[in-house]
Amino acid sequence: MSFIEQIQADFDAYAAQAEKDSFYDIRANAYAHFQKNGIPTLKHEEWKYTNLRKIAEGNFAPSCLSTLDAKSLLDLGLLNKIKSNKIVFVNGCYREDLTEWIETDASLVMANIASARKTHQEVFMQHFGKYAQTEKEGLNALNTALLSDGAFIYVPEGKSLTYPILLTNISDATTEAVLQQPRNLIVLEKNSSATIIENYLSVGNQASFTNVVNEIFVDENGNLEHYKVQRAKGETYHNNYTQVYQNGHTNINQVTLTLDGLWVRNNLHFYMNGLNCNSLLYGLYITDGNSFVDNHSRVDHAKPNGFSDEKYKGILMDKSTAVFNGKIMVHADAQKTNAYQRNQNILLSNDATVNTKPQLEIFADDVKCTHGATIGQLDEEPMFYLRSRGISETEAKKLLLNAFADDIAVKIKIPELVQILEEEIARKL
Amino acid sequence: MLTINDLKASIEGKSILNGINLSIKPGEVHAIMGPNGAGKSTLSSVLAGRADYEVTGGKVDFMGKDLLELSPEDRAREGLFLAFQYPVEIPGVSSTNFLKTAINEKRKYHGLEPMEATDFLKFMRSKMEEMEMDKSLTSRSLNEGFSGGEKKRNEVFQMAMLEPKLCIMDETDSGLDIDALRLVSAGVNKLRDGERSFLVITHYQRLLDYIVPDFVHVLYKGRIVKSGDASLAKELEVKGYDWIKQEVEAAV
Repeated sequence: MSFIEQIQADFDAYAAQAEKDSFYDIRANAYAHFQKNGIPTLKHEEWKYTNLRKIAEGNFAPSCLSTLDAKSLLDLGLLNKIKSNKIVFVNGCYREDLTEWIETDASLVMANIASARKTHQEVFMQHFGKYAQTEKEGLNALNTALLSDGAFIYVPEGKSLTYPILLTNISDATTEAVLQQPRNLIVLEKNSSATIIENYLSVGNQASFTNVVNEIFVDENGNLEHYKVQRAKGETYHNNYTQVYQNGHTNINQVTLTLDGLWVRNNLHFYMNGLNCNSLLYGLYITDGNSFVDNHSRVDHAKPNGFSDEKYKGILMDKSTAVFNGKIMVHADAQKTNAYQRNQNILLSNDATVNTKPQLEIFADDVKCTHGATIGQLDEEPMFYLRSRGISETEAKKLLLNAFADDIAVKIKIPELVQILEEEIARKL
Repeated sequence: MLTINDLKASIEGKSILNGINLSIKPGEVHAIMGPNGAGKSTLSSVLAGRADYEVTGGKVDFMGKDLLELSPEDRAREGLFLAFQYPVEIPGVSSTNFLKTAINEKRKYHGLEPMEATDFLKFMRSKMEEMEMDKSLTSRSLNEGFSGGEKKRNEVFQMAMLEPKLCIMDETDSGLDIDALRLVSAGVNKLRDGERSFLVITHYQRLLDYIVPDFVHVLYKGRIVKSGDASLAKELEVKGYDWIKQEVEAAV
C-alpha cells in the first residue's frame, strides 16, 4: 500500500466509527483539503528547496504497538532531570504511565487531547483548528485529519505554571516505518504564564515520519517561554508546524534547537493580533552527514507597536544542507512596528549548502525593520590566535562554535538546555 | 634555547626571509629592529607557525626540538609565546574559559592532570594581582572592546599565565601611548627571571628604553645585517636606517 493509499484507508476507518460532531467536521474538512492539495512538491513556492518525495513515497503507518522501555530511555536524558511536569507520547500514542504532574493548582490543565476534548470541550473546541490553516498547507491538513493524539495545555486567566512542562515525543521505529502526527493545543488566557519544552527523540533503525501541528493561543498580557528541541536521530523525517496567535501586550520567547535528524522542517508562524506584542524567535541548527534542515518562519505584525526579533544561526558540516526562509509581514495597520531578522551560517565543510532568504513585506509607513543573512567559514585569525596559545584545532573550533552559538544560548533560560547544546557541538566535532 | 640557522621563507612566491641566523640563550633579551618591509613580522609569524608562510630553507631548533615540524599549538606547549601585534577580539569566548583551556591543554601535552577549577581561579587571581590587571577582565570576552593598551597588557597577562620559556613580542609598542607603553613594559620586566628569553621585534627604539635588550639586531631585506648591544638601538634612533641600507648596498 502506498503512503497515500494508507492515508485514505486510515481516514476511511476513522470516519466510519467517528461521532459526527464539530470535531469530526473540522477533520473531514481538513481531509478534503488534503485530497485537493496532497503532499507539497518542489513546485510549491514555500517548498522550493525542500523535497518531500521520500515522505510521499515512504511506507509509513501509524502504530501504537511499541515495546520500548521509554522510562529508562528518558531517565538517561538531562532534560528529564529538570523539575518539571511531564507528558510523554510514543509514536504519537499517549503514555499515561509516564505522566508526572507536580502543580498544586487544580485549575491548570495538562492532558492528552483524546480525553481533554471531552473533559474541557468548550475551551478545546473554541481553539482547536482555529489557527493552523489547512486549506493551503497539505501537511497541516493531513495532521488535522489524522492526528495521533497530543497535549492539551490550558492555563486559565491570571494563573501561572510554577514548573515547566516537558512534552516529549518519541518515535519508535524498531520494527517498522512509523508515522506519528502529534497535535498539541496550548491555551494561555489573560495574565497567565507558562514555560513549555517540546522534546523529540527517536529509537530504531527503520524510518519514521513525525508530522506535528502546534496551535498556541496567548491572550492579553500572557507570557510564554517555548522551546523546541529536535534530537530524533537516524532515518527521521520531521515536519513541525507551529502557529502562534497572540493578543495584545503578550510576550513570547521561542527557541528552536535542531540538533539531529535526517530531514527536518520547522514552520513557525506568529500572528500578532494586538497592540504591543513582543515576539522573540531564536534558533540554532547543527547539521552533519547528509541531513537537511529547513527553518521557515513568518511573523505577521497585524497591529501597531509590535516588536519582533528573530535570529537563526546554523553550523553545517559534511554534506548537510540548510534552508532558512523568514518572512516578516507588516500589515497596513501595524504602525510603529520594530522588526529585526538575521540568519547567520558557518560552513565547516566544502560540501555543505545553505539556501537563505530573509524577506520583509511592509505595508505600513512608520516602521523600523532590518533583515540580513550571512554565510561564512570559521575565521582563520581567531583560530590561529587560539592555537598559538596551545589550544588544539578541535578545542579551538569548539570554543569558537560555542561563541557563535552564544547569541542563541543566552536566550535560553533553562541551563540544562544550554548544556545539551554545548554537548551536541562537542559531540559533532 | 633557540637557534635559527639560515632560515628562508616566502609568501605567495615572494621571498621575504633570505637566510636568518640567530641564537638566543636562556635569560637573554634580543631585539630585532629594521625598516618597514624588512621581514620582522614574517620572522615572528614563521616562528609561531602561521600557515600563510612557506618555509623554503633553513632550520630552527627550540630546546632540542625541530620547531618547524611542530604545529602552532605544540610550539606553544613547548614554551613558545607570540605576543601579537594585533591581538584578535573573540566575542563569546570568556577570558577565563580561554585561559583555562589553554593551560589544561598544555598540561595534558606534558602528561599532567587538568587543573582543578578552584586551583585555576586561585592561580589566575594571583597572576592578576601580580600583573595589576583589572578584575573585570575575568568576566569579559577575549579582547572584545579592549583598547589598544588593554589588548597589549592582556597579551602580557597571558604570558604570565602560560609561563612560556621564550616570548616573541611582535611590535608590541605599535599603537600605544607612552603611559600604556610603560605599563606593558613593566609587565614584561616582571616576567624577566633570568631563565625566560625574549625576542622583541620593534620598529622604534623607545620600547627598548623600558625593556633593555642584551643584543640588538638589524633586519634588512630578510637578513640580519648588523648586530650589537643596546647602544646600537640608540644609534639607530639618532641616525635612522639609511646608513645601514647604504652599508649593505655598498658591500654588494
